[in-house]
This record gives sequence, structure tokens and C-alpha cells, in this order.
Amino acid sequence: MISKLEELYSEFVDSLKNVNEQADILNLKSDFLGKKGKVSEVLKSLKDATVEERKAIGPKANEIKDNILKNINEKLTSIEIEKINKKLESNKIDISVFEDQYVDNIKHGGFHPRTLIQQEIEDVFLSMGFEVLDGPHIETEFYNFEALNIPADHPARDMQDTFWFTHPNSEEENKHLLRTHTSTIQVRGMLERKPPFRFIAPGTVFRCERTDASHEMVFNQLEGMMVGEDISIGNLIYFMKTLLKEIFKKDVTVRLRPGFFPFVEPGFELDISCLICNGKGCSVCKQTGWVELLPCGMVHPNVLKAGNIDPEKYNGFAFGLGLDRLVMMKYGIDDIRHLNTGDLRFNEQFNKY
Amino acid sequence: MLVSLDWINDFTKTPKDISAQKIGELFTLATAEVEEVLESGSHWEKIKVAQVISKEKHPEADKLNLVTFTTDGKDRLQVVCGATNVVEGMKTPYAKVGVTLPNGLTLEPKKIRGVLSEGMLCSEEELGLSESSEGILELPSDAPLGETMLTYMKQRKDVLLDIDNKSLTHRPDLWGHYGLAREFSAIFDSQLNDKFNEDWEKSILSKISSTESPVAVKVDPKSSCLAYYGLTVKNIKVTESPDWMKRRLTAVGLRPINSIVDISNYVMLELGIPLHIFDKKKIKGNTVFINQLENEEIFNTLDEVERQLIAGDTVIRDEEKPLVLAGIMGGLNSGVDETTTEIFIEVANWEAARVRKTSTRLGLRTDSSQRYEKTLDSQLCKRTLLRTLELVTEFNKEAQVEGKISYDGHDLSDIKPLVLDVCFDRLRKILGKDISNDEISKILKNLDFKLTQKNNNLYSVEVPSYRATKDIDCDADILEEVGRIIGYDNIESEMPLLSIAPVRLNPAKELHRKIRDFMTDFAHSFEVQTYAMVGEKLLNDCSWPVLNTNLKLINSLSKDHDRMRPSLIPSFLKASALNAKNKNDFRFYEIGRAYIESEKDFSNEENHLVISYYHKDESQFMNLVNDTKTLMKALNIPGDITQKHPKFKSEVVDENWIGLHPFEYFNIRIMGKMKGALFTVHPLLLRNFKMKGQLSFAIIDLSSFENRVLKDKTKYTPLAKFPSSQFDYTVTISRDIPKGHVLECLSKIKMKEIVSHLIVDEYSQDSGDNLHLTLRTTFQDPTQTLSGEFLKISENKIIEHLDKNGFKLKA
Repeated sequence: MISKLEELYSEFVDSLKNVNEQADILNLKSDFLGKKGKVSEVLKSLKDATVEERKAIGPKANEIKDNILKNINEKLTSIEIEKINKKLESNKIDISVFEDQYVDNIKHGGFHPRTLIQQEIEDVFLSMGFEVLDGPHIETEFYNFEALNIPADHPARDMQDTFWFTHPNSEEENKHLLRTHTSTIQVRGMLERKPPFRFIAPGTVFRCERTDASHEMVFNQLEGMMVGEDISIGNLIYFMKTLLKEIFKKDVTVRLRPGFFPFVEPGFELDISCLICNGKGCSVCKQTGWVELLPCGMVHPNVLKAGNIDPEKYNGFAFGLGLDRLVMMKYGIDDIRHLNTGDLRFNEQFNKY
Repeated sequence: MLVSLDWINDFTKTPKDISAQKIGELFTLATAEVEEVLESGSHWEKIKVAQVISKEKHPEADKLNLVTFTTDGKDRLQVVCGATNVVEGMKTPYAKVGVTLPNGLTLEPKKIRGVLSEGMLCSEEELGLSESSEGILELPSDAPLGETMLTYMKQRKDVLLDIDNKSLTHRPDLWGHYGLAREFSAIFDSQLNDKFNEDWEKSILSKISSTESPVAVKVDPKSSCLAYYGLTVKNIKVTESPDWMKRRLTAVGLRPINSIVDISNYVMLELGIPLHIFDKKKIKGNTVFINQLENEEIFNTLDEVERQLIAGDTVIRDEEKPLVLAGIMGGLNSGVDETTTEIFIEVANWEAARVRKTSTRLGLRTDSSQRYEKTLDSQLCKRTLLRTLELVTEFNKEAQVEGKISYDGHDLSDIKPLVLDVCFDRLRKILGKDISNDEISKILKNLDFKLTQKNNNLYSVEVPSYRATKDIDCDADILEEVGRIIGYDNIESEMPLLSIAPVRLNPAKELHRKIRDFMTDFAHSFEVQTYAMVGEKLLNDCSWPVLNTNLKLINSLSKDHDRMRPSLIPSFLKASALNAKNKNDFRFYEIGRAYIESEKDFSNEENHLVISYYHKDESQFMNLVNDTKTLMKALNIPGDITQKHPKFKSEVVDENWIGLHPFEYFNIRIMGKMKGALFTVHPLLLRNFKMKGQLSFAIIDLSSFENRVLKDKTKYTPLAKFPSSQFDYTVTISRDIPKGHVLECLSKIKMKEIVSHLIVDEYSQDSGDNLHLTLRTTFQDPTQTLSGEFLKISENKIIEHLDKNGFKLKA
């Protein structure tokens, strides 16, 4: 009987090969597995078999039934898939080109490179507890000069660097001008708060100088100030090193040397070891191995006084950073004037997507 | 400024065991930036006296000789030489291979027409002794064979430091070698040899009699003069200066002229105080007057240029004419020349600011004016006069001083030294370096400060007069002296102890960042930045109604950027026109400042967001409107988009501006004020910018709300327990009727169960004049399921309402 069952199964397999319609397959199923189907027919004669024979035939019969059922379902699924796929094929879309392969694809956007650098530095200082401030571009002599220990006869007040709204020699008091540095915000920051405090102030500044590839009359700086009790030069060095490490993503060798700025005493120039030649000397660092990057210093007592702070009790440090120079260094921009034109051929190079 | 270390070594010894480069570096770290270190004269010690032994013709070249010579009597060396004056037995300087000559040539072994030549027999020109010469230099026959030229010619090696003038702005004392030497002595802790001490002063003063001075000095108190010394010397012979003086002047970049002019330059470079020497015979009368000019005057300066002087300038004059422009330059009419036999020496001090003002106005910056600008110390004038006299009498053995020193100006004995109380403990704390009181004291004493200990850590520090003119006036200045000498590089980085408090961006900064993120990520735009200054032409091209004439710069660099912009829109028109040349469509934005004239505050600065959308064919207006609407919603900007209002006008554009499109315009109302606008630019205006296409702008004055914390008004309502019902219907309207009218009409139906009316679809048959608009009204009652009967009645109500208003249901 076992051989009969096996014959039956191979007969089924052959028949299944020749049918391709859902209905025919279902018919085939009932032909074999139905109550009066071929398998049942064979099993009817089981009642004449011995107990031993039954023990062998039972499982065999179930196995064949299972296989038939499995084959039928597989066949049905494959027919259905084929049908759906045929339908999908008739609705096929073209996946061979992408949006960015069209002319006038407008799905781009990006930040101004200044914003990219500025936000990064703002975030570094925010994370160390510095506020971020700004102030007016049109300032008075008081905020731009006087309060910063730049007295009336100081050369910085001459025409050559400052854009004036009134002639500097006129009798008018506290004349208006365009701020020449973000240090004006030191004064505003001090007057608005009580020590201890710390803040940075990125912003636009204006200098009356002829523009060329590396000079602009409008550019961006970032000012920083920290005031408290017994703030040390060591503290200043700590924050400057941390800032540089965050910007350049590696430890940067620095040196501090005397530099003269009226609003700090002592004043420093912070140089970094040239990143192009690693301090060996190249055209970028003029063969010195050092690049001047961060003027800084301890806030001059007169500046603290102008900010209503007692210099006997408090002191602090301040620093300035040429943001545009960093932007140009980071992206290798050859002409500073591109930053202010609004020419998308420039700005689109800083696309985010 | 060039500084000669040879000169410095007259006063203090610079270390011999470190390189010139290192000396420059240490000076940079302690005092002022050394831009370049130049070594001069080092070839002298490598060039030796040689003697020619024989000469024969070069086998290949008629004009060349093979010269054999010796440098010690035993060795035999050979060079190929073209000089015609070579004879056997002559002594001449020989430079071997490796020597670099003053003209920059470094000698290398070289084959000349097939014969190897090692080194060179030198001419005067090659040695840098003269500008041109014939043949090699013939030395006297007694010149010792093998001796270096450094010894034989009494030449000097020197190292020159080129110091950045700007980094010496605050150090008037460092504009002469003696002052610099004091700095070197402090940096390297080496003894300063004070040549100009009291004994020296006495010995020079002994040459001066107490008789009447032939030239009296009269200072006008209104002039810029602080102190004026004059002294007359006769029996002068103007000659060439001695070699050592010429060499030093040349080394630091000055051209030697004659012995008297050279002395005045030399003393200035040595002591840092400028002086002027007149030909005494050219002074008319027996008095020089130091006057402030009352009227304009023309004056011929030494450089043969006519200078226009104005009232307020200070000049030195005799009874006839101006002689010197105070502190800046002498006149052509009183200078020393070869015929001068009698001189008048002027050593004076002037008010820094006034010298600077005059010299800046005339565009005449001299060695003298640039020193006076730094605020010099009047108390150094006398020493300068005596040093000048010392050199004059050294060069002119016959010279005789006539009369005593004349003086006028401030009473110098009245000047009290500046004394500061300095707490060394606070100094240590701020320095961030543990350094003993003794060390601090030693550094300060080396720099000529006088110290008295008041108690443990409190010292009174007397500042030398030449540092107190402007440079040093508080304890922070003393801190700097100590810090720079120990070297800031020797201070360790140190984290401060700080209290912790939350810090965030302020609301305005936060808003600006969010806008940038939205515009960049959602609205597919690029951020740009444009100039804050514009010119009248641009404003006129835009027909912009505000010209900001009160915010005009008096010293603008160009007419195109001569005033602050009243709005960003003109800048954006210009940038849009530029980009339309290169692109068919674009979007960009800026958060920038507009400057509004104000009578009260001079100007008010407002932060504006301006957005530009452009397409060469299709209007971008509705895209811009929808994006702006989304922006406002996403950022919780408290405002809405609204039509022009007869009473409340836009505060960001003039609604009558010809640049506005007649229809594509909206106001943005923020907290009741029209603080923003959305519009398409009128094609007529685009024509002024040679631009075609469709350009739309959005503008919002952020200053009106950016300092507030914008509240997120999201509110949760529990999910509906009962289903809502929808009713779809189609109305037919004429194409020229705005669809919004239908929605507006629907909004008039008051029924609390209506949740919304939205457009489902719109279509028209063929290209007919009518438009079919399918709408969907949603009904919901949170307390119950709406009955079929209620819905039927409500639907009819809607249709009747529309019908009554002229919107017919589609047939």
C-alpha cells in the first residue's frame, strides 16, 4: 500500500505541473484530498491491513497529505505573486533619475558660512556658562572709545579707521560712529550686570579701509569677557586653549606674548602654531611658524570703572577673535568680499543638502 | 624700526651663547614683536688676507687668469680671476667657498671654462665697501697674511632686529637704543652700563660757561611746547662722519649726510629724543620764538616741499620767518650745510596729540614726529643735549660753546615722580604664577623702578619718569612688567572655580537660529548676508521713499556705500538681480539690520527677516505666502496674514511704493501692528534692475517681538467619543471669482457642530469659464452621535446659504 501511496503522490506532482489556473488547482486538491479523493480511496483498504502494516502506513499517508497541501499552497501563492507583479509592471515608475539630476532643482538650502562658525563657537561658550550678547552697530564715542580707555587724543579716534556720522573734530559731544570693534559690548554687558559674569558677543564691525581680497570695511568679530574675583592670566589661557581645541578639534600649541590694546592691561597677542606647516615655517605664517589669532588681555581697571565695576575688588579678562578670518581659514575662501555680496554662486557652495 | 645689537652692546651684554634668532624670539615674547632678524657683516670673519704667488693665462679664455696664491705662506690655492690688476706678490682679500657676500652671492666650487675655481679674490664692490670698483682690492703690503678682514679692516658683525613699530606704540622709552638696552638687560638679567650718569653729566657741563647765551629762547604758552633747550656752538667744521658712525647709521637704515646731521640722527637713535641742529648764522636776530600760528602760512620743509600750515600749528621762528615745524621737520632755510661754522642745537619736547594732528594733516610722518606722538619725557631733553654736545666736541676739537644753555617751557623741577602702591600678593594671584617678592623686586629694579616695602606684601613702586608719561599709571601696568619678563608662556593654564547656573541663548538669538533652521531645512533657501551700507543710487533705482540722509557717513569709501540702509529690500533687489543673471529660480533669505532715522535716539536698529523667492516664469507669491505662514506657525510667531487695511498701514514698506504688485500683496499683522509684508515686486521696478521674471519678497520686523519668549499654544483635547460626519458637495463658480469667497461665505454660517469647511478638489470642463469646486464640511458633536435628520437639515442649510449668496450647486 505504501508503494501505492507513493505512486499516487508522484501522479499528483505530475498533474500539478500541468495546471496553472487557481480553479484547476483547487479541483486537483479535491481530486486528491477530498472525502472521495484518491488518497481517501487508497486508505479505505486500510481496514484489511494488519496492525503492523497500519503502523507503517498511517504516518506515510499523513506525510503525503501534508506534502500535497504544501505544494498546492506554494503553487497558489506563486500564481498570485505573478499576477500582482504583472499588474505592478504595467504601473511601473521610472526610478532611474533623481531630483538633483534636473535643471532648476530647488531643493537645496544652506547657512552662510559665518553662521556655521559663529554658532559653533557660541555653543562652545554656552556650554561653559557664557551668555551670548549683541549691541547696536551705530554707537557713540563713549561706548566705542572713551569707556574702553581710548582717550580723545588717541590715534584710533582719527579718521583713518572709523566711519563717522559727524566730523570727529566737531564740537558736538559723544558723536555717533559705526562701531570699530565688538568691544563696545563689553561696556554694555558690564553696565547691565553685576559681577561675577561671563559672556561672548559675536557681531558685525566696520572699519574705514579700502577693500581687497583680504580686507573688508564690514566684517565680523567675536568678543569675550569674564569678570569676577581673582581671575588670573592662567584662567584666560585655559579658556583660550579650550576654545582653540574645540574649533580645530585637536590640541593646538599656543604662545602668549605682549600686545598693546588700550582696553586691556596687560595685553597679549595669542599666536597659534601654524596649522599649515606645523610650526616649521611657510608662506602662510611668513616663515615664523606662528599665526597671530587672538588678541586678549586682562581688562584695564579704567574699563572696569567705566562699566561701574570696582577694580579693587573685581578683575577679569577679555579677548577678541576675527570670525571672518576663521571662516576663510576653515573653508579656504580666497576673497573676503564674497561674504557680503549675496551671490548664490558663493553661498550655494555651503549647501546643507 | 631696525635695532642694532652691536649698538645695544655698548650698554649691556646680550648673551653670546644663544642664536640671533633666539634673541629675537625672546624679545618678541617679553617686549615687542620682532618681525625679522638680520645678520650683517658675518662674511668679514671668513674673508682673509691672501698673497698672490703666480698668475698664468687661462688655457681656454684670453681675458681670464689662473691665479695661485697663499693664505698662510704654505698652502697653495687657485682661482680663475678676470681682474686686470692682479700682479705677483700683491695682497688681496680671499673669500673661500661657502662665504655669503653682502650682495647675497654664496660662493660654490665652480668650473670656469673647464678649470675648477674655489672661492674668490674680492673687489671693494663685492665686499660691500663701495658701490662700484675696478679690479680686486689691493691691500697694503704690510697686511698680515691670513688675518681675517674683521680684524684687519676693523669691521663689525652685527645682528639687526626689525621691530614692528605698532607694537611699540605705548613704549616711548623704546625708540632709542639706550632704552632698548635697558629692556635687554632686564630680559637677560645682565648689567646695564649707565654711561650717562651724574659724573658724565658734570664732565660735559664743564664745557659750558655761564655767560649770556647768544640765542635766547621764548616759548608761547599757547604753543605745543613742553620744554625747549637751546645751545650755541662755534668753530664747527662740517665734514664726513667717522666710519663707525656711518656704519651704525647705515645699518639701521639711515643715509649718512654730514657730521652734524649725522650726530643729530645718531643721538636720536641712541637716546630716543629727536633734536634739531640749525645753522646759527641763518637765524635772524638773537631770539628764537616758539609760537602757535595765528594765521595760515606757507613753509618750505627740508625735503623741499611747500607745506600749508594752519592756525594752531606750532613753529619755531626767528624775528623774520619760521625755521622749524615743531617736532616734525626743519626748514629748508635754516639747515646745516658744508659751509656751516656755527650751530644752534635744539632739544625740545612737544605735546603728542598736536604733533600727530599736524603731521597727519600734512601727511608728513618723520622719525621725529613718530617719536613725539608717543608722548616723550621732558626730563630726558637735557641728557640728549649734553650727548649731542659731547659728540660735536669729539668730532670738532676746536669747537667752542657760546654762552649757557637757554631754556623755556614748563618748570621741570615741579614734576613729581609717580608712585604706585602695589600688593604683590594680588599681583601673584592675577598672574597665576607663584613668584617670590624678591623675584618681583629684582625684575622691577632691573627696569629702573624704585621700590619701598610698606608691609609684608604691599610695596610702593616709583615709576621712572620716562615710563610715566602715558605708559604706566596703575598697578595693572606693574603686573605687566613682571609678567612679560618672567614670560607669559611660563604661566600654566588653570581652570577657574565657578558657580554653576543654567545659561541659554536669549529669546532673540534663539528665534534667529530657529528661523535659519526653518528657512534652510524646510523652505529650501540659502542664507546670505549683504552690506549694511547702501548708496543713494540704489535707493533711487528702487524708488525707495526713505533716503536716510541723516545716517550718512562723512567719510564713506564709495558713493555706493555712503549711508546705513533704511531697509533690506533695496539690498535684496540688487542681490536678486545679480542672481537672476545666473539662475532660473532661487530662494534666499537674510536676518539683517535696518537702520531707522530717529530724532530722539539718532537711529533705531531693527532686525529684519527678508526672504526672496524667484522664478523666471511662474509667480512664487503663494509659495512664499504658504511657507511664511508655516514658519510663523512653527515658531509660534504671534501674528497672521491679512489684507491691506484702510487705517492700519504697513510699518515695513510704504503701501504706495511703486515696487509693489497691484494684487499680490499681504500684510503680516503681529500683535496688532503691520510689522511684516508679503508681496511680488512690480515688473516695472524689475526693469530698473534689468531683470525679468517673477520675484516675491517677504519681510518681517523681528525686533517687534524677538525679545519675548514665544509661547507654544498647543492644547490637548481628549479623543472624540462620537464619530464625525462629512458632507461633500460641488458648487459651480465663475473663474474670475476668488475661491476664497466661497469659504468666506461658508464661514458666516454659525453652527457649533461645524468643525471645518475645506476644499476637496477643483476642476473645469474643457476650458470653460466655470470652475467646479468640491467642498467638504465636517460636523461633530462631542456629546453625541449626530442624527441623520440633523445632518439632513444642516446640509440643506449650507446649500441654501450658498445659493442665496450666488454660489449654485453644480447642476
